[in-house]
Amino acid sequence: MNLNRSISWKSTFKNLYVFSVLALIIIIFSSISSNFIGAPNITNIIRQSVPLLLVSTSVTLLMMSGNIDLSVGGILGLCSVVFSIMINAGSGYFMAAVLTLLLGVFIGFFNGFLVVRLRIVPVIATLATMSLCVGLGKLMSPGGIGLIKGLPEDIVGFGRTPFLLRLPISVYVAAAVIIVLVVLQRKTLLGKYAAAIGGNSTAAELSGINVVKTVWLLYVIVGLCAALAGITRTSLLSLGDPVTGMGMEMDAMIAVVLGGTSFSGGEGSVARTVIGVLVLMCLTAGMQVIGAEAYYQTIVKGIVLIIAVVVDVLVKEKIDD
Amino acid sequence: MRNLNAQNNANSRISNLTFAILSMLVVLVVIFTIASICVPRFFDINNISNLIAQQAEIIILGIGVTFLLIAGYFDMSVGGIISMAAVLSAYFCQATGAAANDLGSGLGLGYGTAIALTLICCMAIGALNALLVVKLKVNSVIATLGTMAVARGIAMIVAKGAQRITGLPEEFCAIGQFTIIGTINLAVVISIILLIIALIIENKTIFGRRIYLIGANQTAAKLSGINVDRQVAILYITSAFLAGISGIVMASRFNAGNCALGTGYEFDALVITVLGGTSIFGGFGSVTCAVVGAFILGILSTSVNMLGFQPSMQMLVKGVVIIVSILALRFALNKRNV
Repeated sequence: MNLNRSISWKSTFKNLYVFSVLALIIIIFSSISSNFIGAPNITNIIRQSVPLLLVSTSVTLLMMSGNIDLSVGGILGLCSVVFSIMINAGSGYFMAAVLTLLLGVFIGFFNGFLVVRLRIVPVIATLATMSLCVGLGKLMSPGGIGLIKGLPEDIVGFGRTPFLLRLPISVYVAAAVIIVLVVLQRKTLLGKYAAAIGGNSTAAELSGINVVKTVWLLYVIVGLCAALAGITRTSLLSLGDPVTGMGMEMDAMIAVVLGGTSFSGGEGSVARTVIGVLVLMCLTAGMQVIGAEAYYQTIVKGIVLIIAVVVDVLVKEKIDD
Repeated sequence: MRNLNAQNNANSRISNLTFAILSMLVVLVVIFTIASICVPRFFDINNISNLIAQQAEIIILGIGVTFLLIAGYFDMSVGGIISMAAVLSAYFCQATGAAANDLGSGLGLGYGTAIALTLICCMAIGALNALLVVKLKVNSVIATLGTMAVARGIAMIVAKGAQRITGLPEEFCAIGQFTIIGTINLAVVISIILLIIALIIENKTIFGRRIYLIGANQTAAKLSGINVDRQVAILYITSAFLAGISGIVMASRFNAGNCALGTGYEFDALVITVLGGTSIFGGFGSVTCAVVGAFILGILSTSVNMLGFQPSMQMLVKGVVIIVSILALRFALNKRNV
């Protein structure tokens, strides 16, 4: 009985905590500047959140299983480059998008192969993949460092141009992907398996869960979502940029931890990660609105990450008492 | 992989660790020979002394990261600490109110005081790492990525996203420009001294042997009376201290406190450590591994450059080399221990 009560208290706190952080940030920034709550700014925040939303929500499932992916930023950059090159070479949007998504699936598959088949620790394996992706992306772009410009003007149709309620199509696509991921996490065996593996990998294995297949699949899902994020970013900026995903792995991790998914695995919520992403994006946008220089962002992110993990730990300790 | 020390082959005279180091050393020699034959102008005294000088800073970092990895912990904050140390060491000793813009004027302290203060700030970041990882039991990758952002954030704020280059005292560039022969500079000397100290700690002291025990089996280490928390905390602070030294040396070499220094070094430090054969599971490894790893990566990068490939090829080489070397070493050890 006591156990039940404390668990519900814990989940209530975790649910309310990230929401109240978001509310607090919105209240603070809108009281400083009236522009913050204006429709153009909100549209902009949502539009720019799409790549991070796609990456973080898929990484949530992976982190629930106790694994990590540092290559998401690299995948995003490489996919952005490949997508732009194909568009510039004259292939249709649909064809280019399908091939880019396949590339994402392949990289995710490769990550999974390194981690579950060759048993290289996730941090190192995905670090190597990141190096490969960034290197390949830079090699393919003009001059080895350059941006891929000259994309057709209608490329912004996916990620920038208003489609419905002032928001572009990419937002609705992302919403659909997130709904699928939420359903996967809450209602399907995949979500339960991921949590079980994160809680205790050996016990999961012994109780008949195919750990290899599950983790592999999760890496593929992350690769697919990162590729979609790359396409969105390319469309949003109408640029192909091999380093556009720099720091994405860190942002995704912050969003996931803010959403209460503990890195030791075993529990987590895709839906709360969405709020975590919005916290991060509102913080970044809010600092721009109040005129803080861009170089303050790094330290703010670091502090937010540290506070998020400390709160997570303190909540757990409270429960254990 | 987990109990490599325990699985020592009874018939052989050398331990698994010595075997790993020797095999990576063979790889290093082979790569060096191939590079000398295939790459024009590679086997040249200037080029080789350049190669040694380039590895010194990363080897200083690698010492701290290796010890932590042997104990089973990651330190991803070292890259951020380098940039913080570089910028702060410049800021502390820039003349007060000398220049019109903010970036030109600092605190006007003596260079020695500036170095001491900078190292204290770096150790504070190390202490924060220790607090998060040891006391609060946060996963070490996440915690140290957070402190990396904090350290780099401090550097970016103090340098306003750029660099502090004017109004520096003359002795600021002395460390970086002091050379013995050719390009063998003070960084090389410092790294050799630190390496010798590290090897003595690793092999001859109780403190060093405890690190291996903690990495091999933390519970057993605790039960046998080792103060694991204190030991790991000391390692984190040491690692931050070494990163601070690296940052100060780098700032001195460029004669500027640039907040972009050290970007990606946390990954490079990890790569050279793992490349040399230190196990990520803890309990297995040596600082010698980091030195060998640094030179393998250094020779490959230099060769790629000298053969006229684009710099981005280095990223590809790095990625491939990490995967191949981990698999090769594991294959060799498995064969040996069958």
